[in-house]
Amino acid sequence: MTAGPAPVAASACPACGWPVEPDHNFCEACRQDLSQARESAAGEPVVQETVVRAVSGSAHGRASACPFCPSAEVSADGYCESCGRKLPSDRDHCELDLGLVAGVTDRGLRHSRNEDAMAFAVARLATGPMVVAAVCDGVSGSPRPDEASRAAAAALIQVTTERLRAGADAGDAGASAVESARQELAVLAGSDADSPAATYVTAVMTSRDVTLCWLGDSRAYWLGAGTPPAAHRLTTDDSGAEAMVAAGLATEAEALLLPQAHVVTQWLGADLPDARPHVARFEPPGPGVLLLCTDGLWNYQPDAAGLAELALPAALTDPLDAAITLTKFALDAGGMDNVTVVLMPFPLAPPEDVDPPDVEPGDTSLAGSG
Amino acid sequence: MGQTGFAIDIYQNEYLPAGGQDVNAIVTVTAQDAEPVPPAEDTDGGSAEVIIVDCSGSMAYPSTKISSVRLATCAAIDVIHDGVAFSVLAGNDGAWPVYPDDGRMAIANEKTKQQAKQAVGHLHAAGGTAIGQWLRLARTVFSTYPAELRHAILLTDGKNEHEPRYDLEAAISACEGMFSCDCRGVGTDWVVEELRRVSTGLLGSVDIVPEPSGLAEDFAAMMESSMGKEVADVSLRVWTPQHASVRFVKQVAPAVADLRRTQSGPQETYYPTGAWGPGESRDYHLCVRVASAAVGQEMLAARVSLIAGSQANPEVLAQGLVRAVWTDDEALSTQINGHVAHYTGQAELAEVIQEGLEARKRGDEETATAKLGRAVALAEQSGNAGTAKLLAKVVDVVDAATGTVRLKNKVDDADEMALDTRSTRTVRTRK
Repeated sequence: MTAGPAPVAASACPACGWPVEPDHNFCEACRQDLSQARESAAGEPVVQETVVRAVSGSAHGRASACPFCPSAEVSADGYCESCGRKLPSDRDHCELDLGLVAGVTDRGLRHSRNEDAMAFAVARLATGPMVVAAVCDGVSGSPRPDEASRAAAAALIQVTTERLRAGADAGDAGASAVESARQELAVLAGSDADSPAATYVTAVMTSRDVTLCWLGDSRAYWLGAGTPPAAHRLTTDDSGAEAMVAAGLATEAEALLLPQAHVVTQWLGADLPDARPHVARFEPPGPGVLLLCTDGLWNYQPDAAGLAELALPAALTDPLDAAITLTKFALDAGGMDNVTVVLMPFPLAPPEDVDPPDVEPGDTSLAGSG
Repeated sequence: MGQTGFAIDIYQNEYLPAGGQDVNAIVTVTAQDAEPVPPAEDTDGGSAEVIIVDCSGSMAYPSTKISSVRLATCAAIDVIHDGVAFSVLAGNDGAWPVYPDDGRMAIANEKTKQQAKQAVGHLHAAGGTAIGQWLRLARTVFSTYPAELRHAILLTDGKNEHEPRYDLEAAISACEGMFSCDCRGVGTDWVVEELRRVSTGLLGSVDIVPEPSGLAEDFAAMMESSMGKEVADVSLRVWTPQHASVRFVKQVAPAVADLRRTQSGPQETYYPTGAWGPGESRDYHLCVRVASAAVGQEMLAARVSLIAGSQANPEVLAQGLVRAVWTDDEALSTQINGHVAHYTGQAELAEVIQEGLEARKRGDEETATAKLGRAVALAEQSGNAGTAKLLAKVVDVVDAATGTVRLKNKVDDADEMALDTRSTRTVRTRK
C-alpha cells in the first residue's frame, strides 16, 4: 500500500476514486462506465465522489509466523511445521480504520472460528459525507455461520452505498440492502434445508442523523460526550431475553440469566424471507460516538453508561484505539464468544481534519492489519 | 505410473475436550478407475511374477496334490500377460529354479509360457520344508530383472520344519520391500501363523485352500489380481507435529492388517502398502497423540500423504489433513465419528477371534467361549455376514445379539483355519 494522502486529480472515478482523465470512458481500475456520470452532470461542476469500503477478513491473509514458534516454517495450508498449530488468520483478529469509522473483530478465547464480521464504507457524495457500517454475527445453529456473517456484511455495505449514491434515503437504502443480503445468503444455502444465517445491525450516519436497521441481538448504543455523559441503547434485541422483558416477566438482569436468553428470534437468512427489519432514526443531541457491537461485547457490559466509560473520550478522536480497548475488555472478562466493536464519532469530521486512509488508487477493499 | 489418480478422504471427529490428546481418523485411499490398458502396453515400468511351489515329500501324498499343484501353476502361467517377466521356483528344504532353470526370468509369450508349463509337468515331490530358502531364491531371481511391479505367489502344505524360526524371520526381513507375496496353504497341515508372518511382512494375503482341486481357480485369481496392478511401491507417509506421536496406523479394509513402519524423519513415518490397481480402495485407521493446546485452538494432528516411488525420490499422489480442534462444547467433543467407531469394532472383531482360537488351541474353553461369543456379537452388530458364517462353523450360536455361544465339540481343521485366515476381512462402512 502506498503511504500518503489520496491522489489529487482533475476528476476521480465515482466508484473507486481512481484518478481519471476527462477523455476516459472507462475507469482503468474498476471498469466503471464514466460517460454516463459525465453526461448527467453536464453543465455542473464535476464533483469528486469517492466511496471507500472495507470488509473484515477480506484479505484472506494469515499471520506470517507462528506465535509459538517464530522461527519455524509455515506450510502452504497455514499450519506451523513445528507445533502444528493453525496460524491465526486475518479473520481471527482484524482491525480496520477508515478514519471516520473504525472497528475490531476478534475470535475470542474459546471459539475456534470467528463467526462475526464487520464492514464499513465512507462515502463523500455530492450531497455530503456519509458513513455506513454493518456488524454481523453468524447464528451458531445454522450451517457455515462464518460465511453467512461475512457475505451479509459485505452485501449490506455494497448495496447501501450504491443506493445512497443513487439518491435513495437511508431507510430505502437499508431495505434494499437487506433484500440483497438475504439473497446472498440464499445463494450460500443452495438447496439445503438449513440455511446460513446471521444477525445484523447497520448504521448510516450523515452530518445530521443516524439511521439504524437491524435483526437479531447485535446492538447499537449512543455514547454521548459532554458532562454529564448521556449514553443509552438504541436497539432492542430479537432474543428470548428481550421477549421476557417486553412481556414484563423479568428484569433485564434476570432475563439474561435464563437459558433461552440468547436464543435469537429473528435473523437474516433465506429461511426467514418475511422477517421485517427494525428501523430507527436518531438525531444525536451533541457530540458523541455511535457504537455497534455483537453480544461478545455486550454480554460482559450490557450497560450503555459502562460502555461509555470504557470508550470515551478516546473514541471521539481515535475510534480504532477505543475499539481495541473495548475488545481487550471483553477478552479479559473471559472472551467466551467472538467479539466485534465498531465506533463512529459524531459529528462527522470535515475531510481536511482527517487523514485519509492508506489506499492504493482503485483499491476499494482494505485488507485488515493486525 | 502417472495414469492412475488417487484420492484420500479423511473421516474424523476433530473436536477434543480441554486437555484431550488422542485423535482418531479413518483414512480412505482410492485409486481411481483408469482406462483399461491393453496388455502389450501395460509394462511401461515392467512387471515381474514368481510362482513358488512347495515340492516337499508331503506333497506326494495323496498324488492328487502334486498333480493339482502342477495344474494350478499352469493355470497361473496362462493368466500372465505377454511382456511380463516371470519365473517358477520349487522349494523343499532348499530351493531351485524350475523355469527358467538358470535363475533368471523369462519374458512371457506363447513360446516361453509353453516351455514353462512343460517344465512344471516334471515337478516331483521330495524333501522337507524351509520357506526362508524359497524367499531368498525369489529375491535373487527378482534382482536379475528390474521391474517396478514385483509379485510372488507362494504355496505350501506343511509346517516350516527344516529351518529355525529366526531364519525365516531373517529371510522375511531381507525380502521386505523387494517383492510382495500372496501365501496359500493347501490342506490343513500347515501353520497359519507362519504364513501370516510372510504375508504381513511382504504385503500380501494369506488363505487356506482346503482341497487341492481348488488350487487352480485360486492361483488364476491371484495372478489376475496382480496383472491388474498399475502403481508399485505405494506408501503412506504420515507427518505429525513436534511433541506428537503416531500411536498406530493399521489397515482396516478390505482386511485388518498391521503395517510395517519406518521412521523417515523426526516427524515422519512411512508405511509401505505395496502395489495398487485402478478402482482399488483401502481404509486405514490412524491414531495420533498430540500435545493438547488451548480451547479454541486448531492444530494439524497429522498430514497423510500417499507416496509412490522411493523415499529418496517420492511422488505425492494425494494428501489428507487430520485436524484437532479443542472445544469446551461437550456435545461436539463426545461424539465418535461413525467410520472410526465401525472400524474400531471390526478391528476388535479380528482380535477376539484370534484370541478365542488361541485359547481353544491351548484348551482354555472358558476364555475361548467368551472371546468367540464376543466375536459373534460384533459380527452381528456390524453386519459382517462373512465372518459370522465362518464363526458358525466353530461355535454353536445360541443368541447372536448377546454373543451367547457354545464351542462345538468337533471342529473341522479346515473350518478352524479358514476362520483364522479370513477373520481379518472387514465390511466397509457406508459412505
